[in-house]
Amino acid sequence: MDLGEFETDNSVSCRLSSPIPDLCKNEDCCLGIDEAGRGPVLGPMVYGICFCPVSKKEDLKALKVADSKTLTETERENLFMKLDEAKSYVGWALQILSPNTISNSMLQRSKYNLNALSHDAAIGLVRYAIDSGVQLKEVFVDTVGPAEKYQEKLSQQFPGVEVTVRPKADSLFPVVSAASICAKVARDHAVKGWKFAEDLGDVDTDYGSGYPSDPKTKSWLLKYLDPVFGYPQFVRFSWSTAQTLLDTKAVTVHWDDDEEDGEKAAARQNNTSVLSYFSRKPSHGAHPREPHRFFSERKLQSVDTL
Amino acid sequence: MSANSSVTVVQLDSAAQANKEQLHLLPCEIEHNGPAEVSRFYSPTVKDHKHEMTVSFRGRPLKGQEVNCPQGYTGLVLKEVQRPSSDQEDRIVKVSSVFNNFTRWNLETPPTSDDGVVMAMMWPKLAEAIHGPIDE
Repeated sequence: MDLGEFETDNSVSCRLSSPIPDLCKNEDCCLGIDEAGRGPVLGPMVYGICFCPVSKKEDLKALKVADSKTLTETERENLFMKLDEAKSYVGWALQILSPNTISNSMLQRSKYNLNALSHDAAIGLVRYAIDSGVQLKEVFVDTVGPAEKYQEKLSQQFPGVEVTVRPKADSLFPVVSAASICAKVARDHAVKGWKFAEDLGDVDTDYGSGYPSDPKTKSWLLKYLDPVFGYPQFVRFSWSTAQTLLDTKAVTVHWDDDEEDGEKAAARQNNTSVLSYFSRKPSHGAHPREPHRFFSERKLQSVDTL
Repeated sequence: MSANSSVTVVQLDSAAQANKEQLHLLPCEIEHNGPAEVSRFYSPTVKDHKHEMTVSFRGRPLKGQEVNCPQGYTGLVLKEVQRPSSDQEDRIVKVSSVFNNFTRWNLETPPTSDDGVVMAMMWPKLAEAIHGPIDE
């Protein structure tokens, strides 16, 4: 699998796809959706779709695709090769959501949560397949969230398509297994060949599974923590593991949309705490003249000491 | 105004040897005074596509704009040579770097013309008009 396009800029989201088989443009097709790398604090999350004509379901099954989690890395690579060999009737597409995209989305002013991000990635991929001419009739999706709501959302988006959202769909439907293999192979390659945009020299690539519970991942996170910048863009800043480490080991950063309260925050923001009305005011000298709005708006102040 | 009698001396001749550093003004308050690994973590991740500058800081998306110092002005970064032990002593400050422009960063949306810092750069021109000598 060639991730060249993603690797030229791994800070953004990227779509990769196989050519669309002609057969899929002429026959009713089924399509599977699955994701890889939802939980890890490191690296991208990859959404994958795989599709083939309904008439070819048995051929796909004969390739012995299975849930990617039950396979070894080598087995997944081999199965992906088999899918590639079956390109006369099997097509796939991937949406690679870079860790920076995930951090940026989840830490926006108006929060964009992981479920919404995931659903939009999946919907975008199905839309892509339809726009590319795939005669879509059936969609099968694996889910971690509540299935009914997701099913409703997808059915609304794609009228005329029969949508089945099912937990563990990746082990029940070969076309979903195939999607999970494509997604997982891409995620593995992306993590393994990660090119750090930061100037970190030789980076220790022993980051373990990337899951927060993995001690190797945890020690990697500690090793590459910078007190000011936090982490390289390989890390999902929005994960609680990363946040907790930053809260304890890095310097505090305040944003204007932070939800702080209390006297300290008020003092920091130059507001008046309600408590200050109860304390005695320093009343020596005349009241200093307020500077004109022109200066306060421009944050201009006279300085007479350093 | 400080009540003590100490004098702060700015060694302006040190400006000649001072580094020309790229400056970034971030839209947040960092509780840190001191060096930071800007060239390792920040500069290499700044992207400049079709005049839109973007970067992430602590996972949050920022958009930037180059701001020039007012004409005829040079920006100075000052550093105290040695912190005096009492407030009666004179303080000596040297120029650690000079700059003619800096990047103003804003959270999610680029700084606009009504950004306080961008607008502040107009003050010297206005001050000149108000306070400068009048040509006959």
